[in-house]
This record gives sequence, structure tokens and C-alpha cells, in this order.
Amino acid sequence: MKLHLVLSRVLALAAAILWVGPYWWMLITSFKTLPELLESPLSPWPATLTFSAYREVWLSVPMARYLANTALMALQIALLQIALGLPAGFALAKLHFVGKKIAFGLVLVCLLVPAQVTFVPVFLFLGQVGLVNTMAGLVLPFGASALGTFLVRQALLSVPDELIEAARLDGASDAYIVYVLLAPILRPTLAALFLLSFVFHWNDYFWPLVMTTDDRIRTIPLAIALLREQGTGVRWHLVMAGNVILSAPILVVFALTQKHLIRAVTAKGL
Amino acid sequence: MKPAHRAEPYWMLAPTLALLGLFFLYPLFVATKQSLYSWDLLTPAKYVGFANYQVLWERGELWRAFRNTLVYSSVVVAGSMTFGLAFALALDRPGKVAGFVRSAVFSAYVVSWVAVALLFMWLLDSEMGLLSRLVAFLGLPKKNWLGDPDIAIYTLAVVSVWKITGYAMIVFLAGLQDIPPVLHEAASLDGAGALVRFSRITWPLLRPSASFVGTTSLIISFQAFDVVRIMTQGGPVHATELFVYAIYEQIFMNLRVGRASALVVVFSALILGLTALQLRVWRGRGTA
Amino acid sequence: MTCALSRRSLVLGSLPMALLAGCAGGRRDANRAAFWYSYGGKNREVLERLLARFHREHPPTRIHATFQGDYFEALAKLRTAIAARAAPAMSHVVAEVVPYLAEAGVLEPLDSYKGASALDLLPGLDQAGTYVGGAGRPLVAVPFNRSTPIMYMNGRLLDRAGVERPETWDDLREAANRLTERRGSEVSVWGFECPVSWWFWVALVAAAGGKLVDPDGRITLGDEAGVRALEWWQTLVHRDRVMRPPLGRDYNAWQVTTQDFLSGRAAILWSTTAFLRYIEENARFEVRVAPLPGNVKRAVPTGGTFFVLLRGARGREKRAAWEFLRWMVMPRQTIEWATSTGYLPVTGSAVEELTQSGYYAAHSSDRVALDQLASVEPWPWSPNLFRVQREIMDPLLEDAVLSGGTPAVLLDRARREALSP
Repeated sequence: MKLHLVLSRVLALAAAILWVGPYWWMLITSFKTLPELLESPLSPWPATLTFSAYREVWLSVPMARYLANTALMALQIALLQIALGLPAGFALAKLHFVGKKIAFGLVLVCLLVPAQVTFVPVFLFLGQVGLVNTMAGLVLPFGASALGTFLVRQALLSVPDELIEAARLDGASDAYIVYVLLAPILRPTLAALFLLSFVFHWNDYFWPLVMTTDDRIRTIPLAIALLREQGTGVRWHLVMAGNVILSAPILVVFALTQKHLIRAVTAKGL
Repeated sequence: MKPAHRAEPYWMLAPTLALLGLFFLYPLFVATKQSLYSWDLLTPAKYVGFANYQVLWERGELWRAFRNTLVYSSVVVAGSMTFGLAFALALDRPGKVAGFVRSAVFSAYVVSWVAVALLFMWLLDSEMGLLSRLVAFLGLPKKNWLGDPDIAIYTLAVVSVWKITGYAMIVFLAGLQDIPPVLHEAASLDGAGALVRFSRITWPLLRPSASFVGTTSLIISFQAFDVVRIMTQGGPVHATELFVYAIYEQIFMNLRVGRASALVVVFSALILGLTALQLRVWRGRGTA
Repeated sequence: MTCALSRRSLVLGSLPMALLAGCAGGRRDANRAAFWYSYGGKNREVLERLLARFHREHPPTRIHATFQGDYFEALAKLRTAIAARAAPAMSHVVAEVVPYLAEAGVLEPLDSYKGASALDLLPGLDQAGTYVGGAGRPLVAVPFNRSTPIMYMNGRLLDRAGVERPETWDDLREAANRLTERRGSEVSVWGFECPVSWWFWVALVAAAGGKLVDPDGRITLGDEAGVRALEWWQTLVHRDRVMRPPLGRDYNAWQVTTQDFLSGRAAILWSTTAFLRYIEENARFEVRVAPLPGNVKRAVPTGGTFFVLLRGARGREKRAAWEFLRWMVMPRQTIEWATSTGYLPVTGSAVEELTQSGYYAAHSSDRVALDQLASVEPWPWSPNLFRVQREIMDPLLEDAVLSGGTPAVLLDRARREALSP
């Protein structure tokens, strides 16, 4: 075999070991018990297939609540971003009006500003209006997406004006044109936007860390990070069980929508 | 196109602009103002001029945060691009096995930073961790991966490389698929070897993908926080204090709103510069 | 769902948002109070057991307890929550930060609460004994999980090396040298381990006869004693190479040292009395416990946390929280907490009861920390203490023990930094 073919096999094998291995270890650890972990932390297979770590995690913290909170938050953000991004992107792509350049410029600037630099004033402001530790406090700051607005605008540029004018002649309202006529045409863009947003906010650690104070509103990444209780000894089997609970939904979403996700992150054909 | 009503574009834009203004632009102004005050959130704020900037500069905290971020980002960007390109070349072929490995590598990009950070803390656990035991088994010197100030930041960087290599790989794969196979066939007929074909055909055509990956992962790595918060809390001896973590620590651990805001102002300028660069690259790629 | 919806959440959010936000507003009901805590692992289980009993014995009062991470994470949350007006009615905080919070006016004065003067707290552990001048101030902090640093020894290793229990720093240095075992250049057993952190440095400074803050309130960091404390650590780590310097922010280091001790890789360990039960239960050798060795004198700081009520909470919440607080420091709860964890029993009647029942006769190790209260060094009442600890000393200690800078120079710089606003 030629050298570069051998090399590529070796690389593929290395990738498989290095990337599947840690997942495997996470899963195996989560099926172990504490004594087992202390006795033989390296055994590649649990002595018995026990779900006791999962049960313990599930019972010691309101995990169902955390999952529901997280899903609800990510879903609301993703939907809100689409609902607001559609008309905004439409106005920026298709309509002439005074101040359009400024508006588009503002969106572009916001594209550059990460949440990590704005959180101090936002946190204090939300505290003043009593929204710290509420779902609204988690969702609202991300309700409008500069990236979403931008992508919708780009996608709409290639939609012919005639389509919209024809609908207007038929007496269609603005809302109808945006949400009923154009949304299906933009489906690939919107699907990508939805996935990016949902996955990002499901995984988000930073903002819920800042915004939530108790477990009625706590989200899953936060809760899992808190499983690593320090002081005496970390109970890694519990932490890994938590890790599986945190990652599994996202991996399922990933498995089902890999093509869309790939298109979304490579920013191709949006 | 003319709007149906004169007010139409404005109401369509209003919710988006209001939220963006409130949560992205206005806070930047507030932070700029707060950077001139000394405030602990609990007692009244005092105007101190540029003292916050001065303290951060004189104590080297600004430089330290910048240097740490730069070291971390360099390793992350270089590492993830190198491995991403290598894997893309190795795995750019049909077949279930290659598909599975591609998915596995890319999936790390999709799961949460929290999960990845916790997983690697476990793998690197000094007593029971798989990697630590493996190192001991191979007879290599025992290292304190997260506790040694000379090593910790590279440990974080390697974990981050693991996390985002899949992203680089996917973008490179997309780039590879755009290269017409006929080019390679023609070159093969001319007797060009694999290395020549790579350097003459593949790489030049992948260059736009490379700058896209490079700028995007540079920005991702500049904003790193979770991995620091969970794995090292900035230690030991501030060795892993990246920019965003430094901001977080100033306000949440030290309750120094003024110093945190001064860091925000500097950091925003850095990010603005970087992202402007990114936008140019995106434009060059024809998607913007 | 039984919770009422708040109007704000209806205006600002969609329905599911409103439901969740509305529930969060449920604490408005009578006799409810939020309590934030940092007890992890086993301590958390004990707390949950106590809470369940409290709810059985005290209907209709409900305490909504939330785990907030370790002390420092929880404290960060608490302070920002106070600023955002989202703080709970009750929490527990480390001794070093009480003066800061009290001076900022965010702690509820407790003197006028029912039974506040009859809590029967141990003199070394209450506010009066914990702080210089603590008696003259309004009561804001009630001790609950309090501790002192103590010395754990691996009986098997000590006997094998024929080492007696060290009484002074010099004894300990000699013992550590004799207990350290080397295989080639690698150390297989460390003679001595101790988290390189503020609390243990403060213990060293006190034993060396220094004060962190002088009577005028000037931050001295122990002056000469502070330097000697650092030098002693450096000697053990760099010159003798008999002490493993475990680094890592906050409790990572504590965990590493505990694990080393339990696995027999450290012969002598300085740690908190709070780990007593955990260490005894998990050690596969005889664990001996002793007070920290002295230098010019024997002296230790107290550690652990105090219960506090937050001033910004509603009156009803504060009253519910006080009911819980008072119940927690009653003998039965205090005893259950102390005997299942290793923390000190905080009231005189609890100690009395434990002595009478023969507990201390059977568990002499539990007695060590209690007896050590006789040599407690009170904390200065300095609002800056906490900043000095977190921003200046913790990183400095890591740095000094690791890189071996000159202690006098480092502490000089630290004192200057402590002065700047």
C-alpha cells in the first residue's frame, strides 16, 4: 500500500481511539459503583451493569426539573430568534426606508459583541427589574439574534421581489408574507438557525451561572457541574452519570440532524 | 422594494433592535462608564478616573490575562486546524467506518463544554484517572496536569483542541468536497505523487476554508470560559486566567465592578478587531 | 400546579415562562424562607435529614434549601444576589467575610430575635469569641459548622519509623524528614502534607506569635511571624523536600491532601476537623489525631461558617429562617451534625450532653478539636480581611511555596496591595 494511504488509516484509527475512547470511559464509569471505582478504577468493564449512579443522581437533585428548564429555555430562545429574525431580516433585505443602513450597521456591530462582555450591566439591570432567577431573565437577553437576523437577510436577498409583490396584490398582510409565504422558502436557513441556537443554549453554562440562583430555574449544565462536590472526595461515577444525562439529548439531536448541523456550522449554503 | 406602509419596516425591526440595543449595545456604554468607578455592588460607587486601568496595568493583570489568552488561543487554533485538516484528509472517503469516525470527532463540538471539562478532569485525575494511570504505566514521569502552573494552560488548550477539532475537520471536509475530482485524476496521470497533489491542488483550494476555520476558532478560543471555570478556576497562581475568566473573577469573586468593567472595555476592543477580521474572511468566502 | 402566577411574568413571558417564574415567586407565602448552603457530599445528606425532621416538627414553616457549590462559589452568588435583590433569607458564610458583609449593612442584626440571648454558644466559636471586639457589636452571625485545623497521623507509618507525635514545628520537621520515603529520586511517602492555603498560613502566623491586623486596624500580615511561617513551608518543600506542595484553587488542594493521607502516601496531614469522620471511616490504618504543633506558642484560627440572615429579605421570611436557625443550634441537631461530620458542637449544652453520654470517652479524636479551642486566635474585625485572603494571599502563597520567592519581599508587596483601594 502507498505511504499516504497507510498514513491515512493510522490517522483514522487514532481519531477513533482518541474520540470514542473518552465517551466510552464516561459511559463505563457511570455504570460503576463507588467501592468498585475505588478498588479498580481502571477496569474497562463494570462488574455488573448497574444504574445505581443514575438513580442516585436522579433522586438527589430535581433532574427532571433541570431537563425541563433547559429544554424550555433553549426552545423559547430558538423560536423567539426565528420569530423576530424573520421580519427584521425581511425589512433589511427587501424594504427601502430611512435609516436602513444604520439599522443594518447596528445588527452587524451586535454580531461582534459576545455575551461575556455585556453580562455585568445586563445582570444588574435584570436585577433591578426583578428578573434575576426567572425564565424570562434566561430567555430575553438572547431573544433577538444578530446572527439570525443577518442570515435571514442574506437568504432573502436571493428571493425574487415579484413573489412578494404578487402576494401583496392578492391582499396578503405583511405578517402573512413573512411568516406564511417566506418562512417555508427559507426552511434550510431557519432549520440551521434553530439547531445552532438550540444546541448552543442547551449547552450554555455562562449565562445560567450568572442568572440563576436556585434549583427551580437551574439548567442542566450548571446542575451537572455542581455534582462535583468537593472537600472529601469527588464521586466520579455520579458526575459521569450526570454527564451522560447532559450529553445524551444533544447527541440524539446530533444523530438525527447531522446534515443540517454541518451545513449550519460550516456556514455553507445558508 | 417599497414598504406597504411607511411604518412597516420600523415595526418589523423594532423588537430585534430593541433587544439588541438593550442587551448588547447599552451594556457596553454602561461598562465604559463603570470602568471609571470603584464599586463593590453593596456600597456606593466612587469615581476614580482611570485608576482601575492603572491598577490592572501596573500589577500586570491586564498583560497576564492577554498573554494567557494568547498562549491558549494559539495552541487551540494551531492544534485544532492541524488535526482537523489531517482527519479531513484521512476521512474524506465513503464507507460506514469513516462516517462513524467523522461523526465521533465532530460530536465533541456539539456536546457541552461542561461535559467535556468534567470528563477530562476525570481522565486526568491524579490518582484514578485513566490518562494518569496510562502515563504511569508507560513509565513516563508523573505530571500534575492541572496543578502545575507551567503545564495547566496547555492542558486546558489540549482539552479545547479535543473539543473543537471536529469543527475544523467538518469545514475542511466541506472544502475538499468542492475540489473537482478531475483535477486529482489529471495530476495523477501526469505522475504527481500524493504530496505534490496536496501542495499544488488541495491546499491552495482549501485556503479559504482554512482562513474561515482559523478566524472562527480564534474567536471561539478568545471567549473561552467554561473550561477554565470548571477545571482550574484560573489557577494555579493565575496561570490559566483567560480574559473572560478574569472579568468573571473580578466581578463575582472580588466584587470589583470597576476593574471588571475596565477589562471588559479592553476585551471588547480586542474582540471587535478580531471579528471585523472574521467578517472580511466570511465575505471573501462568498457567504456574506 | 398550585403556585400563583405573578403579573410580571405574564407580561414579560410566554405561558411556560410564567408558570416557572410564578413558582419561583412562591416564596412569598407565609412561613417560607430560602436557605442557601454549601454542604457537599456526606454533609449534604446530614443537612437533608435534619431539614426533613424540621419540616415534620415545625409545620407549616418551610425552608427551601438550595445547594450553591463550595463556600466561595456560594459566597459569590450570595453577594451578587444581594445586589440584584434576589438573595435568600438565610445562608452560611465563612468567618473572614462576616465583617465585610456586616459593615456593608446587608446582614440582619439578630439581638432582638426571640431567644437570641439564650443560644448557649461555646465561647471560642460564637461571634464574641471569634472576632476581636466581636462582643461589642450587634449580633449578626451564629456559628453552626465550625472547625479548627488539626493534625492527622498515620499510626502505622509513625510506629514503623519510631516517630513520636510532634509537639513543635521543629519536632514536626524532624518527624517529616524521618517519615519521608524515597524510591530513587521519586518520593513514595511524604512525611508531611498540608494544603497551601490561607487558613493554614494563618495558623502558622498565629503560632509564630503574629497578628494579621494590628490594633489600629493596619494590615500587617503578621510582619516577622508572617515571614517565618512562609519560610517554614519553603524549608519543608524545597530544602528538605519532605512536604508535597498541593496546589489548586480552593478545595482541590484539600481533596488531594486527604486522598494522599488515606492512601498512605502522606504520613502526617494538617486538615480540618470537619474531615474527621470521613477520614476515620475511609482509612485502612490507625488514625491518630492531635492539636497542631506550636512554635512560640500554640494557637489556631477557627474555620467553617456562620449562619446569617440577610437584611433585605421580607420580615416573615426572616422570622421563618430564624425559627429554623434556632432549631438547628438546639442540642439534638447540633449533636447529630457534629457526630456525623466532625465539625465542632457549637453549644455548651451539646458538649455537656456528649460528655455525659460517654461519647468523648469512646471518641477521643473528637475531643482534640474541642480542647484546641483553648488556644484559639480570634480573627480581626476587618472588612478587608476577605479581600486580603482571596485577592492577595491565596495566590501569593501558591506562588511563594511553588517558586520560592523571598517571603519578606512577597509579603511587603502584599501589604502594599492590601492598602490600595
